[in-house]
Amino acid sequence: MKSKYIIVTLLVLSSLAFGYSESAVWSDNLIDNILGYDKQGSLHLGQYFTILQSTYFKPLFLGVLLGVPAVFLLHYLVIGPMIFSHDRKKIYVFTLFHRIIHSIAGISFILIIPTGLIMMFATTFGGGEFVRVCKEIHAISTLLFIVSIVPMFFMWLRWMFLHWDDIKWLMIVGGYLNKDKKPVPAGRFNAGQKTWYWLATLGGFVMIFTGGAMYFQDFRFDILNTYQISQIDFLRASAILHNVLGLAIVALFFVHIYMAVFAIKGAIHSMINGYKEEEEVEILHSSYYKELKEKGEV
Amino acid sequence: MSEDARLKFYCDEHRCISCDGCSVACAEAHELPANINRRKVVTMNEGILGLEYSLSIACMHCTDAPCEQVCPTDCFYIREDGIVLHDKEKCIGCAYCLYACPFGAPQFPTDGAFGIKGVMDKCTMCAGGPEETNSHEERELYGQNRIAEGKVPVCAAMCSTKALLVGDSEEISAIYRERVLSVGHGAKTQPYGWSTAYGSKV
Ligand code: HEM
Ligand code: SF4
Ligand code: SF4
Ligand code: SF4
Repeated sequence: MKSKYIIVTLLVLSSLAFGYSESAVWSDNLIDNILGYDKQGSLHLGQYFTILQSTYFKPLFLGVLLGVPAVFLLHYLVIGPMIFSHDRKKIYVFTLFHRIIHSIAGISFILIIPTGLIMMFATTFGGGEFVRVCKEIHAISTLLFIVSIVPMFFMWLRWMFLHWDDIKWLMIVGGYLNKDKKPVPAGRFNAGQKTWYWLATLGGFVMIFTGGAMYFQDFRFDILNTYQISQIDFLRASAILHNVLGLAIVALFFVHIYMAVFAIKGAIHSMINGYKEEEEVEILHSSYYKELKEKGEV
Repeated sequence: MSEDARLKFYCDEHRCISCDGCSVACAEAHELPANINRRKVVTMNEGILGLEYSLSIACMHCTDAPCEQVCPTDCFYIREDGIVLHDKEKCIGCAYCLYACPFGAPQFPTDGAFGIKGVMDKCTMCAGGPEETNSHEERELYGQNRIAEGKVPVCAAMCSTKALLVGDSEEISAIYRERVLSVGHGAKTQPYGWSTAYGSKV
């Protein structure tokens, strides 16, 4: 059932690349592509891409790279991690399938994000062969990412819709601003986890699509003709989106790691062995805990 | 060429006959791979009577070159004389320069079965690589260095109608200006004869 989606996604991506052989960039379309720089009727993306890439993207990424860990360090020092009792019962929350899919996603992120950043800061790494290899790793690990993100989307979808708890959760920033063990309003997944889920799956899909466009570059995509978008403008839009979303993904990826490894002591074990501490569920996922209680599962 | 020459291309659309001689000459002189076209001839307003014209375009060696501004490896070198070159050893083939370029100049060879893009290639104004080593490697990577030999870039040299001009921007505009002005003389109404050859006074 799930493999069906993977195959469909791969087919869609590959049909983009091998549909036609005549160049969409340098053949007859060259004129449209040139007019697409900033002439009337174009999306004016040439100038926007140039301005964004030459002056904004690098400082923004640097800001995220330094800023997000700095905020966390402050949080760790001032408020400190949540520590839950390991003496009570454990609750089985993630099945083996969940954990395998999550691990594949994790591996692909660990490959994709640093290699993406290395491309972004290619000058610092001297360019050349090293960065070229990173670029290929970035592209190849995207396949791993597809394999994990499609099943992940479906396996957790039913818990990821917006709920009243999420608004309340956001109002108290998930209870992370103090160390009181007051029950935090959240179901099986809290508002923060839901944001990360949607960004990683839907955002991830956009990353795959825009990354794929940049990778294959010279393909024909008939919808573009219908809307009179030149190939180059489409590629520019892809590059802009890839960078803007990349910024958000890198930021939330850091948040994710911090939460799992530092902010909640031992939280990472639930993704390794499938069990969460009962107290952790009781406090951080109070609505889910209530539900389990009503069903008599705890 | 003066000390502060600023090299430019200009293609006179009143003269270009769309023969493709320039692009063929370029590809041959630099032994470019089959899918690399440093220079291309395009026809604008195709089929519209009175508005159709052809032009030869390649890298225009822009002032404030956008390609140079966006390159994540900072591999571009802009020479004193305005020629925009890039270092293929550093280039990672990300194609950002293509997205920034107003003329679709950067080209990418595809090597291998997976359609992996190679490093960028573009018109060098026949000036070889960023470092003038005149070595075999430089020639393999960037093509001939005709500028170092004091020769005109091969595309412009080959242009049979002299539509494609290359050189110091001031001289190029002077030539073009002269062409435009002489067009202003209008059509010849008198046959050539004594007065044309020796003036009207006997
Ligand atoms: C969900 C995550 C992501 C996916 C699926 C993804 C996918 C891709 C793909 C397939 C490409 C084309 C690869 C190539 O041309 O060799 C690409 C290019 C690129 N990606 Fe990502 N990427 C992701 C995240 C990121 C992040 C977080 C960054 C952060 C800096 C990033 C930066 C870049 C850059 C700079 C390029 C360069 C364009 C190019 O080389 O064509 N990517 N991405
Ligand atoms: S590659 Fe494009 S942007 Fe760069 S100098 Fe040449 S024409 Fe200008
Ligand atoms: S393809 Fe090469 S020259 Fe062009 S922007 Fe990327 S690294 Fe720079
Ligand atoms: S100047 Fe040289 S490299 Fe550039 S288009 Fe002409 S022949 Fe080709």
